[in-house]
Formats: sequence, C-alpha cells, structure tokens
Amino acid sequence: MGQVCLEREEEAACVIMCASVKYNIRGPALIPRMKSKHRIYYITLFSIVLLGLIATGMFQFWPHSIESSSDWSVEKRSVRDVPVARLPADSPIPERGDLSCRMHTCFDVYRCGFNPKNKIKVYIYSLKKYVDDFGVPVSNTISREYNELLTAISDSDYYTDDISRACLFVPSIDVLNQNTLRIKETAQALAQLSRWDRGTNHLLFNMLPGGPPDYNTALDVPRDRALLAGGGFSTWTYRQGYDVSIPVYSPLSAEVDLPEKRPGPRRYFLLSSQMAIHPEYREDLEALQAGHGEAVLVLDKCTNLSEGVLSVRRRCHKHQVFDYPQVLQEATFCVVLRGARLGQAVLSDVLRAGCVPVVIADSYVLPFSEVLDWKRASVVVPEEKMSEAYSILQSIPQRQIEEMQRQARWFWEAYFQSIKAIALATLQIINDRIYPYAALSYEEWNDPPTVKRGSVSNPLFLPLIPPQSQGFTAIVLTYDRVESLFRVITEVSKVPSLSKLLVVWNNQNKNPPEDSLWPKIRVPLKVVRTAENKLSNRFFPYDEIETEAVLAIDDDIIMLTSDELQFGYEVWREFPDRLVGYPGRLHLWDHEMNKWKYESEWTNEVSMVLTGAAFYHKYFNYLYTYKMPGDIKNWVDAHMNCEDIAMNFLVANVTGKAVIKVTPRKKFKCPECTAIDGLSLDQTHMVERSECINKFASVFGTMPLKVVEHRADPVLYKDDFPEKLKSFPNIGSL
Amino acid sequence: MQSWRGKSLWLALSASWLLVLLRVFPLLRLAVPARPWASAPQGWPRWLDTELLPSFSQPGELPEDAPQPPQAPRGGGCDWGACFDASKCRTGGLKVFVHPVAGPISAAHRKILASIESSHYHTASPEEACLLLFLSLEVPAGECSPVPQQWNGGRNHLVLDLHPAPCPQTFQRGRAMVAKASPTVDTFRPGFDVALPLLPEAHPLRGGAPGQLRQHSPHPGVPLLALAEERGGWRTAGTDPSACPWDGRCEQNRGPEQTHPGGTLPNATFCLIPGHRPDALHFLQALQAGCIPVLLSPRWELPFSEVIDWTKAAIVADERLPFQVLAALQEMPLTRVLALRQQTQFLWDAYFSSVEKVMHTTLEIIQDRIFGASAHASLLWNSPPGALLALPTFSTSPSDFPFYHLQRGSHPVGRFSALIWVGAPGQPPLKLIQAVAGSQNCAQILVLWSSEKPPPSRWPETAVPLTVMDGQRKVSDRFFPHRAISTDAILSLDGHSSVTTSEVDFAFLVWQSFPERMVGFLTWNHFWDEAQGGWGYTAERANEFSMVLTSAAFYHRYYHTLFTHSLPKALRTLADETPTCVDILMNFLVAAVTKLPPIKVPYGKQHFEATPPLVPGGPEPQPTARDCINQMAAGFGYMPLVSSRLRLDPVLFKDPVSVLRKKYRSLEKP
Repeated sequence: MGQVCLEREEEAACVIMCASVKYNIRGPALIPRMKSKHRIYYITLFSIVLLGLIATGMFQFWPHSIESSSDWSVEKRSVRDVPVARLPADSPIPERGDLSCRMHTCFDVYRCGFNPKNKIKVYIYSLKKYVDDFGVPVSNTISREYNELLTAISDSDYYTDDISRACLFVPSIDVLNQNTLRIKETAQALAQLSRWDRGTNHLLFNMLPGGPPDYNTALDVPRDRALLAGGGFSTWTYRQGYDVSIPVYSPLSAEVDLPEKRPGPRRYFLLSSQMAIHPEYREDLEALQAGHGEAVLVLDKCTNLSEGVLSVRRRCHKHQVFDYPQVLQEATFCVVLRGARLGQAVLSDVLRAGCVPVVIADSYVLPFSEVLDWKRASVVVPEEKMSEAYSILQSIPQRQIEEMQRQARWFWEAYFQSIKAIALATLQIINDRIYPYAALSYEEWNDPPTVKRGSVSNPLFLPLIPPQSQGFTAIVLTYDRVESLFRVITEVSKVPSLSKLLVVWNNQNKNPPEDSLWPKIRVPLKVVRTAENKLSNRFFPYDEIETEAVLAIDDDIIMLTSDELQFGYEVWREFPDRLVGYPGRLHLWDHEMNKWKYESEWTNEVSMVLTGAAFYHKYFNYLYTYKMPGDIKNWVDAHMNCEDIAMNFLVANVTGKAVIKVTPRKKFKCPECTAIDGLSLDQTHMVERSECINKFASVFGTMPLKVVEHRADPVLYKDDFPEKLKSFPNIGSL
Repeated sequence: MQSWRGKSLWLALSASWLLVLLRVFPLLRLAVPARPWASAPQGWPRWLDTELLPSFSQPGELPEDAPQPPQAPRGGGCDWGACFDASKCRTGGLKVFVHPVAGPISAAHRKILASIESSHYHTASPEEACLLLFLSLEVPAGECSPVPQQWNGGRNHLVLDLHPAPCPQTFQRGRAMVAKASPTVDTFRPGFDVALPLLPEAHPLRGGAPGQLRQHSPHPGVPLLALAEERGGWRTAGTDPSACPWDGRCEQNRGPEQTHPGGTLPNATFCLIPGHRPDALHFLQALQAGCIPVLLSPRWELPFSEVIDWTKAAIVADERLPFQVLAALQEMPLTRVLALRQQTQFLWDAYFSSVEKVMHTTLEIIQDRIFGASAHASLLWNSPPGALLALPTFSTSPSDFPFYHLQRGSHPVGRFSALIWVGAPGQPPLKLIQAVAGSQNCAQILVLWSSEKPPPSRWPETAVPLTVMDGQRKVSDRFFPHRAISTDAILSLDGHSSVTTSEVDFAFLVWQSFPERMVGFLTWNHFWDEAQGGWGYTAERANEFSMVLTSAAFYHRYYHTLFTHSLPKALRTLADETPTCVDILMNFLVAAVTKLPPIKVPYGKQHFEATPPLVPGGPEPQPTARDCINQMAAGFGYMPLVSSRLRLDPVLFKDPVSVLRKKYRSLEKP
C-alpha cells in the first residue's frame, strides 16, 4: 500500500502544480500594477500559501479516499470495512444459464493458452459489499466457509493475482447458500464484475441451491455461461462435463473429533440418522425396521431434550438418545435420503464414519462423479425400491462391504473433509478438462493410498508376442579388448535372429579400429563412441536401436552358443516384459547381519540374471537412463559395478515380475582372461555386490526382486529324443 | 516595504512548509513499513474477524431441510431409476427378447440378431424377458419404423439404432433406452442410453480382425501424426509442429507427408480425429491400428463411455488449442505413449473387433446397471482380459480373479485342490490319490465319480480331506464350478493319470508365478493343415506346443466358471459328444482369455507308455477329434491358440552338479 500511497501523493502534487500554473496564467489580470520584479515574489508566496491550504484541505479528506481507492487489505483487514458497491436497480441481469453449455462451446480456452506446466490460473475478485439503491445489502458479505474456500484457492498453485493471465475467475460474491441472498441483485452484482463477459470462465460455488417451495437443484441466480460447482445437482440441471458436482460441506467435519474406525461388521446393519425425512419415507424406513428388528435403526429428532443441549448433535429412537455423528460408526450401511434438496451434508458425516452410504435420491448427481467411482463406496437404491433396500444390501458379500467402508473413509479424507479439499478437487477437475493429456488417472483419483502403494502397473501389460521377424539388436560394451570383441561379434552374428549389432566404444583415449579391420558380418554394425567411460552407457536408449529386443552382451562373452542365444531370444518373445538372461543370481536375507546378501552359489532359486548377456525390452533402457530412482545411476558409475543388479531391480520394480533364467549356464567362464577377471571370485567382489543390493533396496524403499525356482529350457531339453530333430540341440553347458 | 515583504514572504513560505511537513511525515512513516508487503503477490486477505464470520448455513438448516413430497420424474426426462423396472430381472438375470422384425433386413442387422440369439441372454418369450430389444430399421427419411406390439411406452425397451435416426426423436424414445452409434452429446442421457461405436458395414460377426499392434513401443521412424481426412482416408504428417496440420491453416508448409486412401489403417503414433460425427468411423480404425486417437472436441459420446475409461486409451483435446495439443503430444513421456497404445489394442480386442462383442458389451452394461453393487468393477472393464471375460457372478473382488494380482498387489491364495475325474472303467485311482495327497500344498482331494459303476464305499486314509462327488456322466461336468472347490488352484486329473508328488509340487510352484495360465505336463500342438485346408493337431512330441492336457494340469478355478457360464452352449455340447474335444475347448478358452500359450513342466518319461488314454487314439487323433478343432475355431471365430517353445524346469534340472544341491532330484529319475 505504501507505494500506492506515495504514487497518489505525487499525482496530487501534480494536480496542485497544474493548478498553480493555471493561476500563474491568470496572475497578471489580478495584480496588474505590480512590477514584474515583485510580481514573482507575490506569485510564489501566493502559490505556496495556496499549496499549504490545498494540502491541508486535501489531508482532511484524503484518509477516506485512501481506504476506498487503494488496497484496503493492509491496515484494517476486517470484513466490515470492505468497500461498498451500489447496484442501481436497472443494472443488467445475466441470462438465466445455458443448459447446452459444454467446455468447447461456452468456455474460452484461449485464456488458458499461456498457463505454464499444464496448470490453470485462477483469479479471485476482491471483496465488495453490494447494496441496492436503498443501501440494503444484497447478501451476507461473505460466509466463513466461502472465505476458507477463497483462502484455499489463493494459497494453491492455481492462484494468480494478475487478472490478465487468469484462465478462471472466481467472484468473491458468496453464493454458497441461496437462502442468504437476493437472487436478482446477486445476478446484477455478478454482471458488474470487470471480466464478466457473459460469465465466460467464471466459476461459482454453491452448496445449498434452490428455495422453498420447489427447491430447484441448481442455483437460481441467473449466471449465463458461468460454470457452477454445485452441491445437489440432479441429472436434469447438471451440465455433464461442464458443471462440477460438489459435496455439501458438513460443519461437523471440523467441529467433532471422530477417530477412524476399522472396517468390519458393526452393531447395526442399516441406520437412518436424518431428522427431517418426508413422512412417507419415514414410514417406509420404519417398516424396514419392523421387518428386520435390531439390525435396522431409524433415528429421529429428540423431542424431550433439556435446554442447552445441542439438538444437532443428538438423535433419538423412542426414548434412547444417541450421539451424532458418533452413532454412524456403529452402522455398516447408512441411509442418505433426499430431503427437500438432493445434496445432503449427512453424506459427508456418513463417509467419515466409514459407513457405506445408501443413497436414496433419484437423479442425484453424486459429488465429483465425473472422476470418483461411487460404485466402490456407495450403494444407490431407487426411491421406488426403498422397501427392498435391506435385501439388496444383504446380497453384498462381507469382503466387498469392508472394501466399500475403506473406500468411503478415503473419499472423505481426500475430497470431503475440508472446504479446502472440496475447492482443490473442483479446480483439479476443471484443470483435467483443459489439459486432458496431463489429467489425473482413474487410479490416482480413486485408489486409496494403501492400494496405490501395493499395486504395480506393468508398463508392458498387453499380452503380445512380438514377431520373430523383427529380431534383436545386440549391444556390445567394450573398452579396449579388440580381439575378444571381434570374436564376440563373429559369434553373435551367427545367431539367425540378430538384426543389428551396436558396439559401444567406451574408451575415450583410443580410437576404435579402422573399418577394414572389423569382422565382416551379414547385419549392419555400428560403433557408438561415448563421451565418458561409464557403465551406464550400456543401457543408454540409442537411436540406433530399432528393434524392441535388446541383447546386452559383454565383449568377453564368447562361450554362448548360437542355439543358446537364439533360444534366449525366443524365450524373450514369450516374456517381453522381463529380463531374460543366462547365469542366475540370488539375493538372500542374512539373519546374522540383518541385511541383504548377494549369492552366486549354484542354488535352486534365482532372483536376478547377469546382464553380461541378457535380453530385454529396449524400453528399460529408457527407464534406466531417465527414470532410475535416487542416485543409483551415479552410484553405479562411481563404483564401476552393479549396473546389472540395478537393472534387475528396476525391471522387477516396474513390472512386479521375476526374471527368466534360460538354459543351464551358471557362469561366464572366460578361458583367456584370467588376471583381471579373477575378480568375480574375489571375496571383496561379493561384499561389494551385497553392498549394492542393500543400497538399492534402501533407495527403492522395498525389495522388488522376486525369487523363482524355475528356468526356461527348450521343450525337448534332455528328453530321450533324437538330437537332430530338436530345434536347439546345442544349448551349451554350465 | 521591501523587507517586510521579504519577511512575510519567508514567513509564509516556512509556515506552509511546516504545514506540509507536519501532514506528510506521519503518512510517510505509515507507508514505509508496508512497502515489502506491497511488492509480494497479493493473495486473498486474511481477515481480522475470520472467526466472527457467519457460517454459510445456520446450525439447524443443514440436517433440517424442510421435507418435500416425493417427486415424479419430470416429463420427457428418463433415467435408470425412474424408467427401468429391474424387478423382472432380479429372478432370472438379464433375459433379452428381440421383437421380430417385419420385412427385409440388411446383413448388418442379421449379424446383430445372430449375435444376440447365440448369447446366453437371449430368450424366446417376451414374458420371461426383462429387456425387450427393438431394432430400428433403415427407413426412408422422415418416416419412422412402426412401433412394435408390447411397446408399453417403451418401458424396459432398448432401441438399437445403428444409423442416425431420420425420424423425430420424441416419438421413438419414450421410456426406452436408446443404443445408438455415436450419439450426439446433447441428446445422450448418461446412465440410461448406451453409446455404440459406429461400425462399418462389413464388420465381422465373430472373432474379428486382431489389433494391428505388433510391438509395444512405437517403431522408430513411424510418423508422429496421422490425420483423418474427410473422404475417409488418413494423411500422415511430419513431426514439425510449425506445419500446423489441421484446419488447412498452414497448407503450404506441410513437409513430407503421404495420403492414404480410405480403408487402410493409419501407421502413426497419434491419430488426429476432428470432432464431427462423421469422423467417428475413423475412431475405430485408429483403435484397431494401435494409433492413439486424439479427438478434437468430439461432438459425439464415445462408445461405451459409461464403463470404458477413455482417458487411458485416447486423448480428448480442445480443437482451439492446436499448438498446445501438438506440443503436448511431442513431449508426452514414453511411458504414457506405451500405455495408451497398448490400451487401444486391448479395448479393440475386448469390445469392438466383432459385432458379437459390441452387442454383448451393450447387454453387459445394462446387466451391470441391474446388478448395482455387484457389477463389474472399473478395473475389470479397463484392464485385460476385459469385462466380457471377467464375470462378476464369480466374485466382486478383483483379487479373486487370476488376472489382477499385480494391480492389486495380491497373490493367489492358499494351496490347491486336486479334482480327479473317474470315467467309464470306474477304477478308484488309489495310487494317484496317494501321490497327490503326499504333496505339502494339497488342500483337498475331490473325486468326481462319473462311472456307471457305483463308487467304492471305502477310500484310502489320506492326510487331506477327500470328498467323493457324484458326476453327471458328462465330460463337461469336469469343468463345472463345484461348490466344494475351496482353493484358487485346481489340479485337474484323470483317473488314469499318473503323476509323482514332486512333479505336482514343482508344477504348483510354477503355477503360482503364472496363475492366469494353464500349467501342464503333457502337450499337444496345433498346426495349419494345407492338404486338408483346415486346422489339425498332433500329440507327437515336438519342439513346440500350444495345448496342455487337462488330464493333468493346474489352472485357476475361475476357468470353471468361465467354461460353464460364458461358453456358447453349442461348443459345450460338442465337447460332451466328443470327449477329446473337451481338452481343446478348455485350451481354446484359456488362450482366448490370456492370449498366451500354456506352460509345460517336466514329466517323467515312463508315464508316456503307461497311460494310453492320455493320448487319445494314439499319435494321430481320430477324424472326429480332428473336426473338433475346426469346429471350435469356427465357434470362436478365430484360432486363439498360441505356441510356445519352452519348458520350465527346476533351476538345476539335469545339471551335472551334485544331486545333494538339487531340490527336485526325483524329477530327474528315469
């Protein structure tokens, strides 16, 4: 405010100066006899005195104009002091509201064109107190809940104070409850908003629509194209994909402390806790109670309570008094019956109690039904079938009931428990419509956190056996063992399904051999030079990889036979979402040390395969390079070890599946290379590998590896069958 | 005079300055501390009197809505609760009667009729039916097809309307639901009407063309975009975003692109489809091609939108933001692209590839509405194998099915039940019972006695409960979902089979890794017989196999439910008449669900010679059995079997290492 104030003062000074200039012009006429020498003194004197007078006069009135014209929010931030806006009786009224509105007809997306990060920007109009010609207020200035709602929006990422960049506008005119406002005048106030423009991109929040006697199911205030987030929509008034159906907030959510109760069977099977139920419905409910005895409890208002007791928090059955909402936790199913309005605050209380709502309100559009799957948390019974409600509910298996109870509580926690939750869910829904490619998924909206944590969504979920004709790309990581490399190339090129060979030259100090020196093979051979000698380079998603299947192979793996490799590829085709490798390894829990241990003994189980030679889907290269959790990639490059274990962790974590070990191969025995590769026998090597497993398990936050006791062999492997008739006779040795 | 003047001048000057300073300084002081606050973005103010603000509803008001008499549904509007009488469906489930059609009908209509009549929903009597189906015929413009008898204001009627109706809407609908191809968003009543896909004339009745996707990830070099053309073809466009590829706005800068005539499927990662209704045909093409549909403000309701979560397979974007959409497509993470592509294929195969699937999906949606709380969960509709193959009558909990363990983070429960079928000779399989009962994982043994001879009164003592059930002398009885089966896993055995305990143990362990597949010991392989012009199969040992014999196999008990309640009756009858067919039928069924081959585990060779009935009719199947596979393929509309070239063995199987290391050493005994 300070700055604004100063600027104003300068402006005022300017006005005075201008005035004095004017005076100056008139000056000669008023004091003609003065000598020009003295005249200047007089003029200065007069103007200074005048300036003093004007300034004094100004300051007498200025304080008021400061408060009304500049931002009033700094000093006295009281709702009572908000500026007053007078609505002339004949100011325009918006159209009633267009029922055919859809996002692509009534919503101006261009305003959302430059919102970064696929997030809409929301502007909130400043608060004003609207009065009519006679000074009578149009409505309560603002309710506690609406203030909370606007605060929540203002604190969120959606908020912007720049009206020109906003995509959605939220008026500060409180229309949460239609009963507290004057319809025509509120509409006029809406039409006066600076960017109203027929209500385009304006969002109104209303929880209690309609009024006596016929209680419309949507806000009666004419609002033209404005979006309505309303509690209690019916299918007749709800504009699918345009309006948002929101809950009616229950004040008890904040007032009462109600700890979560575990799902399971409860004392009452069916409970009705609403007080104002139409007599016909009450008769139906009481008939249910009469038919099923103790299992059904129908509560009503208490008539004989002593003064001073909050009647809102008490319910009675005959002479028995129950605490509300606590009594809801005693029931498995709770009736949410239509009253005068479709939307009922009791729905929120019921969900909170982990009681499964039985919604008996024909044509009611349940809150956030655009994204929430209410089938998982509620039972909808047509009003006509109310008498059958008990038998309908009885047919639901207990396991499903518990699932629904859990889901009900989760819906409350996520979307009902506070005004903030309601506001943000509403904005998220609108955001999802505008940026559909960045929208939250069904699972993100509906799955409770416990399910989200346990579930795995396999990125390659479609059961698909890739055609054999596509073949695979072999990627050989090499440093400088050219001779061994050439032998590997020659051996691998004999595999029928090889379609391309990629050599990753990881030595920056040495150039790869000349073209003429490389072995001549039948498939394209490409050499990629890397910028740094890193183990991760083997798992980089090179553009040169055109096939889905990738064979990672070290430059010293010369012992694998052509049959063995071809069979490995065939197995990969049947399990394209898994790592398919040769020697298997195992992780074990070391009870003495209380940590994981790497095991290379020849055991009956496997949980990893070595990537010295392994087939996998090229998508995992992308995951390894760009989506590896934590600092695992750097750790691997720093330690020059365990890139294969990291890959095993990654694939198992993302697919939830075990590796496939093929053929009897147990180790990569390399007869020529002894000194350096004696490493794998080394005790320190084992310790290092165990270290890796523990490190990765802590980064992943879990142990994703799966242990299995099977390996894949050709169908007729070691069967008593003529060798020459077998597809893969030379499957190799240990 | 001069000095007085000067003095008074200075006096006035200083006085006025004093005045100014006195008034301005306090203001300045006030202004200064507020300055940093003013430069920060201004949010909604924090009121001093927040606590004093009134609540939006008075304490009594919220729970105390004044009561209002029940309302009848408003004129014209219909929704499920108001206009459908589900009480008739409670007893017999969804039974559908099709009003007889007067006059000539087109081939497309004939297919629809055939698909409904062959389904288990169909009934021939209108009294028994809870849904009456009325086929809206193609009639000259402006006219309406005549209203059938028993129209009853359209109550419990479904009007099938595959072509945009030329006659005024108001007459036809009444209280009837309308299942219509690509209905406009404005007239569609969500939760009541059903949105159908716009099918081409030549859509097959059964089976249908499989999805075009051959690999999970887009092939490098495949264009990013294909654009639906007005004349029905596709035009592929380069990846250059500057050549904004629709509206014809930037025609001159199209870059390298090709036009494909109508009928061919697009070969691109994304398929851009404008939102006008005639473009709905493109939508299905894109789906089949595995090209992710990008729908620009569609004016029609997407097919089966009530149950299918289209956000998993398509992108509905606003046509007014072309550059944002293009940029979003280019920057879309690979993971999302992969998921969308695969979902298009799954949806195509599960719900759209044949007229039969489309019709069954329509009826399944209506059945779900009747079922209410025990309907398909959304997961069942939106992940493989799809809702037509995951029956909600089996269970309402996805974890009970073999397909959703990954998504649910669950595992198949418990041990296995051995189900031994004893056929004609009626010899109690004592040795087999002992071998199976010896397994740690066996929970119960069920003997299904299907022989004419009465079962023996005494059975051997076993460690696990043994129950003898009286079978119905029908082979298909083997796959009935008997109530007595208490575990997820079933080990199906024949009285003649011979297995060892360790074989059973290992096979069960393997099955736990693949609960949706069949895991068996003996295998058959199918092949295309050029000479006969049909399918054949062989029991000879080969390098490949596509079926495992159910005389010794593990599978999930869900397949019993599926076998009994979802297979067409004709196929089950066929199996009853030709007993060897039952193995083929079961393998067809599981393969059609999983789209994967079964799994073979090692089996001691001595059994081969010992048990001739396991291999019916010797190495070459009998001619009748041969027909069987072709009849099954005709019944399914395609050949679902998939071949495998591997066998899963224990990790140290037959390795030259110490026998003491091996857990399943008895598997290797000759």
